[in-house]
Amino acid sequence: MSKKLTFRNRHKIPVVLLTIALLVIMLFPFFVMLSTMLKKSTAIYVRPPYWIPREFAWDNFVRVWSEYYLLQYFNNSVLVGLGTTILNAIVIIPAAYSIARFKFKGRSVILYSLLAMQMFSPVIIIISLFRVFIKLQLLDKLIGLILANTVITLSFTTWLMYGYFSSIPGEIEDAARIDGCSRMGTLTLIMIPIAAPGLVTAMIYTFIQAWNDFLFPLSFINAQKKMPLTLGIYQFVGRWATQWEMLNVAAFIALIPVLVLFFIIEKQLVAGLAGGAVKG
Amino acid sequence: MKQLSAKSLRGETRMAYALLAPAALFIAIFMIYPVIYVVLMSLFRTNKLGILQNFVWFENFIKQFQKKVFWVVTGRSLLWTVLAVLAKTVLGMVIALCLNTEFKGRKFARLLFIIPWASSVPISSMLWKWVYDHEFGLLNHTLMRLGIMSNPPVWTGDPFWSFFACLWVDVWIGVPFMALVFLAGMQSVSRDLYESAEVDGVGAWGKFFYITVPSIKQIIFIATLLSSLWTFNDFNTIYILTKGGPAGATDILITSIYTNGFEWLRFSDAAVMAVVTFIVLMVVSIVYARVYFRGEDEAL
Repeated sequence: MSKKLTFRNRHKIPVVLLTIALLVIMLFPFFVMLSTMLKKSTAIYVRPPYWIPREFAWDNFVRVWSEYYLLQYFNNSVLVGLGTTILNAIVIIPAAYSIARFKFKGRSVILYSLLAMQMFSPVIIIISLFRVFIKLQLLDKLIGLILANTVITLSFTTWLMYGYFSSIPGEIEDAARIDGCSRMGTLTLIMIPIAAPGLVTAMIYTFIQAWNDFLFPLSFINAQKKMPLTLGIYQFVGRWATQWEMLNVAAFIALIPVLVLFFIIEKQLVAGLAGGAVKG
Repeated sequence: MKQLSAKSLRGETRMAYALLAPAALFIAIFMIYPVIYVVLMSLFRTNKLGILQNFVWFENFIKQFQKKVFWVVTGRSLLWTVLAVLAKTVLGMVIALCLNTEFKGRKFARLLFIIPWASSVPISSMLWKWVYDHEFGLLNHTLMRLGIMSNPPVWTGDPFWSFFACLWVDVWIGVPFMALVFLAGMQSVSRDLYESAEVDGVGAWGKFFYITVPSIKQIIFIATLLSSLWTFNDFNTIYILTKGGPAGATDILITSIYTNGFEWLRFSDAAVMAVVTFIVLMVVSIVYARVYFRGEDEAL
């Protein structure tokens, strides 16, 4: 018995060391971010560079809001994120319910398409989507970003909700319907509350996607006032000298919300993406 | 339950379609119509605004297929995908194996490993741009100080190294997903198998190759397939780090579509590449859908 224990412990030390080494590699850019964002602007272009700031420039956190358009970018990202989340939920709930509960022609085609659409890259259609945006006068508008992100997130979130709705036993609904509840009534009063954890996952996923989106603003937004964080921060990369301490502070601010949200849904996300394979 | 009459059954079908209508409308306007339009663009000559001029059949395709650069970019897309997915799988497996060992702080380590995946890809790419800075960046400085490289390259400016610099960022983003999925698979493998193997004197490698890998075969397949699609589609990393440069050294199909369309206004060229990419993605996603549904037949 004791022999077995020491055998196991002896094996653990290299594993722990390896884990630490891998963590250092994987978190390297974030260490650089933490170091850079606290440096004074005069300490950025210095050779050789150093890790620990000699003077901590806490006022970077104030300057980035007051001297740059960060607040504007931040507000735009929040608006696009919330707008996409709400619109996405409005569209996917009935769609997912329909696939989960009704038998109709074309249902399996829809299921296949939903899965296949998750593999779709918006870059493929970006040039023609641009024409659509011109026609519908959506260029330089936040609503344009909301619509585009809704469509891109639609397939995965519908898929996710379909899974949650199907796992609810039909008897619960039948009982309510015998008591005189309508289809819409059972959906809003019974199905949605039971599937609430799934809906929360779908909504958080949508928000994260919209928050992280770079392609659509890059293609459809020109006005400084309408830029979300990703494109706004990209503007910090200047033609001559980028103010890296400011970029890193802004990046830090932009990352915090998505990191927090991501950790809430991480487990459901992995299961949703890899399907039955992970569960069993 | 009461037998449903034909009339109410028709009503049910109508309701099913009605509930799907909003989603279908969105997809029709912002996805299906654009796909059709891209196909048309690839078959027409277009002007600088992307408006269709005259129908030229497959002339755009033939012209594109005769260009050497098209094949270089397509080949690089494949190389990019294969190398990155391979690296993600191996590294993901190593991390999963580490996290599958019981040690103090394992849960916390798992949390930390997720951060690169949880972060916003465009923002991370911007952070990496600074990390890679050859004069003032901390990567080269650290590599020199640790004696790993005495003369580190100009990561994003060198025609050879820029490809690997971009590749590494893509790998770095994709590894956590692999690790998590593999770990989830490993944790569902019965402990009895390992214990009886231990009794039989099977070593760590034997256990890995004869128990772990076969048990999570399906998961490995799904994860690498998904990862290949994401890798193939990775626009943000390359666009932000190098824009496909220097001199096209990091250009892959997905970035080439964008630069051809939005920077050079060569819409027909962009459309041809988009159609080629679309076909590749379609084929792979059909494979994915088939494998996915194999696990849950009741869905269809």
